[in-house]
Amino acid sequence: MPIGADRYASRADTLLFLGCFGLSVAAMSLPDTWRDPIAQGLRQTILAPFLALQQQTGLLAAARGRYDAVVAQRDSAALAATFLPELRSENVRLRSLLGLGTRLGWGYVPAEVLHQPEPTNPLTFIVSAGRQKGIRPLSAVVSPEGLVGIVASVDAQTSVVLTWAHPEFRASAIASDRGVSGIVAPHGAAGPGVWLLELQGVPYRQQVPEGTVIVTSGLGGVYPRGIPIGTVVGLASEAKGWERTYLIRPAIHPSALSHVMVLTGARGSGSDIRGAFQPDSVHP
Amino acid sequence: MRKTDKYRYLLVLMGLVVLHFTVRGRLGDDRIAPDFLLLALLIYTIRAQPGRSAAAGFVIGLLRDALTPASFGAGALAHTLVGYLSSWAKAVFFAENVLVNGCLFFAGTWLRNLIVLVASGRLGGTQLGWELLVWSPIQSATTAAVGIVTLWMFGGWVRVRRAEG
Repeated sequence: MPIGADRYASRADTLLFLGCFGLSVAAMSLPDTWRDPIAQGLRQTILAPFLALQQQTGLLAAARGRYDAVVAQRDSAALAATFLPELRSENVRLRSLLGLGTRLGWGYVPAEVLHQPEPTNPLTFIVSAGRQKGIRPLSAVVSPEGLVGIVASVDAQTSVVLTWAHPEFRASAIASDRGVSGIVAPHGAAGPGVWLLELQGVPYRQQVPEGTVIVTSGLGGVYPRGIPIGTVVGLASEAKGWERTYLIRPAIHPSALSHVMVLTGARGSGSDIRGAFQPDSVHP
Repeated sequence: MRKTDKYRYLLVLMGLVVLHFTVRGRLGDDRIAPDFLLLALLIYTIRAQPGRSAAAGFVIGLLRDALTPASFGAGALAHTLVGYLSSWAKAVFFAENVLVNGCLFFAGTWLRNLIVLVASGRLGGTQLGWELLVWSPIQSATTAAVGIVTLWMFGGWVRVRRAEG
């Protein structure tokens, strides 16, 4: 026998059903002037907490949607802000390179710096120009600001550049406004002056004022004359009264480079290219 | 029947009521989203007597009419009939089976919509056909699906008790 079929035939159930049925029909028959207050009363009493819950859920959903939109906008802005300065900086550098190329006129090969994540990248890095483009070892590598380094080895497509920060870097240099000459070398591999250069072998009787621009002298047959190396920032040491060593702030840091120019051998090491560099390329 | 069974049973019903006012609005088109409130009524009718089911249907229907005054009374009538018929038919004809209960949920939802549409007289012609042949079956299906899941998860809490009454 089905579950409780006998008991479901009770008169109370039938009467209750008929009562509800009748009330429903009566509700349908109510005029608007009666049904509206009833509906309003139900909404403001029994249904009020449920409607509030529904409203809060809607607000929560809307807030969540707005939050997602705000987060997306913030992420987009952050991403744009991340790339914008780099793009601007790269554009400035490319325009500077174009200007330098115009002033150099000939005898150079532009190349892109292929940065690597290693911490030693500022000492030696790869550039995207090699033997096929006429690059040869010991070619000078410059940027619009000044001397970057020298080509250490050459492959078919790429070259290895030894920068001024490398311990083996040396360059014959002179002060741009005086006849002071010396040898430029990295200041050291430790301490606060790790990214500075020093002008060694300056005769004791000659002084180099702070802010003096140091350029390549052209002696030695490697670098053309007149490439800015950096700016004197102070005295590093004195050696027993017969020579002085000056600290130089380099014209450009290797890690800040994106593109460089490799001066080809056709130019000749004895030429003077001082005029190719902007006067304000080395900031005092 | 243990006292805790009653509370758990009410907990399931209250959960469905809360879902109706919180989740349903985010489940897509209002015409096809599952009707948690009607589902709570139908689950209630599984174990309640027809008279009480009719009364519960009347109350739920009247409350829903308060939210849709355009068909005031039609919801109360529809839910009263559905509650009474569901409870009566469940006891007389249907075996205790999840799929059978799913069919009950489907039929109950569709019948409710039919009665509301006919009793309110608001729709006619093509609109009535679309409602009864397209949207109502879809809503009945979604409601039945939710009902099956609910019984599958909480079947032990809402099971019919032979010793009841």
